[in-house]
Amino acid sequence: MIQAVVDGVLTGGVYALMAAGLTLIFGVMDIINVAQGIFVVLGAYLSYVLSVHLGIDLFVGLLITMPAMFVVGVVVQWVFISRLGERERTAMSILATYAIAIMIEGILGLVFSDNYVELNAWYVTRSYHVFGFYLPYIYVFGFVLAAVLLGAIYLMLYKTRFGASVRASLQDRSAARLVGVNVDRVATITFGIGVAVTAAGGMVYGATNSFNPNTGYDLISRLLTIVILGGLGSIGGALGAAVCMLVLEDVVAVVWSPVWAPFVFFAALVVVLSVRPTGLFGRSSARAQ
Amino acid sequence: MTDYEAATPADPHADASRPLLEVSGVIAGYGGGDVLQGVTFSVPQGSITCIVGPNGAGKSTVLAALSGLLRPRAGSIVFGGRSLVGLSARQILGTGLVLVPQNHSLFREMTVRENVEMGAFTVRDSAVVRARLEAIEEQFPIVRERAKEKAGSLSGGQQRLVEFARSLMLDPTLVVLDEPSMGLDPKTLRQVFATVKAMNSAGRTILLVEQNARAALKLSTHGIVLESGVVRLTGTGREVLEHPEIEELYLGGAVSDRLGLRRDGLMRR
Repeated sequence: MIQAVVDGVLTGGVYALMAAGLTLIFGVMDIINVAQGIFVVLGAYLSYVLSVHLGIDLFVGLLITMPAMFVVGVVVQWVFISRLGERERTAMSILATYAIAIMIEGILGLVFSDNYVELNAWYVTRSYHVFGFYLPYIYVFGFVLAAVLLGAIYLMLYKTRFGASVRASLQDRSAARLVGVNVDRVATITFGIGVAVTAAGGMVYGATNSFNPNTGYDLISRLLTIVILGGLGSIGGALGAAVCMLVLEDVVAVVWSPVWAPFVFFAALVVVLSVRPTGLFGRSSARAQ
Repeated sequence: MTDYEAATPADPHADASRPLLEVSGVIAGYGGGDVLQGVTFSVPQGSITCIVGPNGAGKSTVLAALSGLLRPRAGSIVFGGRSLVGLSARQILGTGLVLVPQNHSLFREMTVRENVEMGAFTVRDSAVVRARLEAIEEQFPIVRERAKEKAGSLSGGQQRLVEFARSLMLDPTLVVLDEPSMGLDPKTLRQVFATVKAMNSAGRTILLVEQNARAALKLSTHGIVLESGVVRLTGTGREVLEHPEIEELYLGGAVSDRLGLRRDGLMRR
């Protein structure tokens, strides 16, 4: 039971990172990036290639995969998203990013086939034994990685000039324009950052689960649940919701049955939304556009 | 005059005989229709100039064209000797013209101080930003008193004052205010108008658009009446205020000042 809670917190941290990217993109751009799940899988495959074919350590490989995914994000934003008009932008973005997801999934299927693979390293199979708990190294390392990256995002948002322009765009785009913020540039870089974090999320996911090109669907439905529960556009909310949901899922899997775990995940979404339509941590007027 | 480099501020003293802002023959609108059908007026250096007119006259459209949010189809806008047509919102900020929009435009989740600092977003020299912030805190005590509070927690009138403070962070020559009185009670309105006057006394030229025509014209040195996308009348604030036709059309006839203000306020809401 306590073991389940600890596992939930540790994996929740990684989900929090992936969800933070998603909610940041929504907050700044009103874009729901349905491709976030497949980006995670793409990030995992990049780590797979680097580790299997080039023998590069999974964590060291992030120095390559994260910038690579940043570039993927900027290109996708520039080629597909920036061309969407202002009207029906959110709805159109779901279609556009869904199309992107299908394309990437198809390409991954061609290159890697549908066989499940997983990432391997010495820390994937070994565990700590602390106070009778059983903590796989990768869970702990992954959690630390997520915490460091989330901390970096936090510092970026609250301590830098660029971060101020992101927060301004998040809260009121036209006011941001009026004080001289280049909102389009902020949006492109934000999309890049939101996608770059999937490289890290994908690596940890791939080291703790086996995956194939279809894994993106399972991931995106969880990530969307987390960001909606956390209140769309709220990063703090995404963190809280990610940890709560993963703990809940793990606890249910232990005390009830693993079969019911995903069900509880979405049941919680329905219940919370019927009571608090803006999400667990959402404010009543999170955004005044 | 030949070099329209965006970053150099307009020199207000370049030619004292010319108005600070000259708008002539501006045609502009959204989508298919032209809201402005050849608008011509000027804003003298050091004035408080007020644009009044009925709903849909194109008042806010004029301001959108000035601030670079809307590009005119025809006509010229010359500010301190430089053309603004075709410049981006950011470039126009650099010329010393700043717009305070009608709807509340503070970043609600940021603190008051952060909001005011955002006003100088385009200024990279942090020493300059600090010095201006200090000067503005003198002028707007609320910026210091409520520095750490979220802007969204302030009242409407307080938010208005912080918006004014933010607009001054670029040390603008011309401050453009879109309906500063909107949604304010009479007492707060007086305070906001007094602040407008104080900004003017401190050397800023003010251009404002107001529904609350009577109160605004009393404050203003110059008045412009806009109707159906054309300028109907210009003059000093008093001339426009006392023009018989205008009195009848927009100001609701001869009522005592106080009542007029109130009635105006009620009718517009």
